Amino acid sequence: MTADAQAAVTAAWRHESPRLIAALTRVTGDVGLAEDLAQDALVAALSQWPHEGIPSNPAAWLMTVAKRRAIDRFRRDAVARREAESMAGDLREDTRSADLTAAVDHIEDDVLRLMFLTCHPVLSPESRAALTLRLLGGLTTTEIANAFLVREKTMGQRISRAKATLTQARVAFEVPQGEEREARLADVMAVIYLIFSEGYAATTGDHWMRPELCLEALRLARLLATLMPDEPEVHGLQALLEIQASRMRARRGPDGEAVLLEQQDRRRWDWLLIRRGLAALDRAEATGRAVGPYVLQAAIAACHARARRAEDTDWVRIAELYDVIAEAYPSPVVEVNRAVAHGRAHGPDAGLRILDAVAGNPALAGTPLPGAVRGDLLSAKGDRAGAATAFGEAAALSRNETERRLLQRRAGEISKTM
Amino acid sequence: MAVRYMVFVKMREDVGPAPEALQRAMGEEMGAAFAAGSMIDAGGLGGSAQSTEIRLAGGEEMTTNGPWTEAVEVAGGYSILEARSHEEAVEGARRVIELHKEHWPGWEGSVEVRPILGGPDS
Repeated sequence: MTADAQAAVTAAWRHESPRLIAALTRVTGDVGLAEDLAQDALVAALSQWPHEGIPSNPAAWLMTVAKRRAIDRFRRDAVARREAESMAGDLREDTRSADLTAAVDHIEDDVLRLMFLTCHPVLSPESRAALTLRLLGGLTTTEIANAFLVREKTMGQRISRAKATLTQARVAFEVPQGEEREARLADVMAVIYLIFSEGYAATTGDHWMRPELCLEALRLARLLATLMPDEPEVHGLQALLEIQASRMRARRGPDGEAVLLEQQDRRRWDWLLIRRGLAALDRAEATGRAVGPYVLQAAIAACHARARRAEDTDWVRIAELYDVIAEAYPSPVVEVNRAVAHGRAHGPDAGLRILDAVAGNPALAGTPLPGAVRGDLLSAKGDRAGAATAFGEAAALSRNETERRLLQRRAGEISKTM
Repeated sequence: MAVRYMVFVKMREDVGPAPEALQRAMGEEMGAAFAAGSMIDAGGLGGSAQSTEIRLAGGEEMTTNGPWTEAVEVAGGYSILEARSHEEAVEGARRVIELHKEHWPGWEGSVEVRPILGGPDS
């Protein structure tokens, strides 16, 4: 088989795999088995499609093959013979009646259930992210391992364990209702945000960003927003990620160095993504329902996105939005960001007052964040010696090589002008 | 790595309106692609009768209004896809042809898939 044909088959399979795995999980009740069956279908496609051509309806072809394999497997399992017969009956009937394209609504429900499954709280946050990328993003274990900078073997084990945990815990394949719904939806959104942040901030390693993770998270956020259009926070999450992703080109200089928001060349922002982000924010507000942290953060991101020049930024509005966030969702990191906003809106002293009140918080100990902000506020105030010291301290605490260089550069620049 | 692709759907201009079944199927397909996050923009294009071309040749600027009677096929619509590989974009575009084949007997035309250089993460 030529490499081209193989790539075409893999692309078609990847396109269908989340829906395939989701439907198979509903039918078999076992996400691990569902993935194996989907892989079997890929193997069959790789052997047949290069000769016969990609079928006009790849989804239906793959599903038919996967279901046939499911019946074979159940039959082979002699112990479970009786269940196998009834299951095989169900599957056959389903195969006969189901025109997959006609059952799209049904399938989309399954995809949403699959998202709630891979983001289930019985799993650790890292496992949720890995399994979501694997089953909903269609990424290979190698790709996920590379994205999270862990060895392939480690990632493979993490994914296998996660699937086993879900099976052992007999986690239901459903979209939770009632009281549980809100918390579980928050878990799903947190996983998508974690994947995005891991790519955007790249807390470890020597790169400032891993864009492939950002774009995968963006796809997941878009998918979730389409599947749950009545939830304002889901649109808020999409809006936030679209707008943050719009800056990817601009936040990296020609030599790979980090460029902060206010220094970015805004012509290099991705205005198509900004337009999509602002539209998603409008949809969130149009639901008329109470908004939460993602909509508020998206509203802040939108203030930046609407400013064609850094000096046009509506910092007073941003400071107000941070006040709302700090009130509803207090956290040390929010306070630090609020200090930045108030520093810009109402002068460096206003920012320093907020920063001083939170700087001793143990949650910030050992992180470069307070030092970086203090350096920024002191430099705006004209206290160059204080700013240089603060940037230097922050640089010493940074775990990311690019961020460290940025902080060292700022410390150096301030010292030079003294 | 993700690249953005511009997809043009090209056909003769005298084919008349698309059958309702095709419009419905295309609507579903595009809805799914938007949902999956792989299609980020799409639109139909006005006919060549609504087009204007400004050409520079031999130092002379010349403005011509459509229709282009000499053109065999013109772009009738476009979409912008975000794909992880060229094959993935091609697969997304190929479905447009499959749907035309299924719902518009006798239709002839093409889709053209071209990477947009300097994409979202370049």
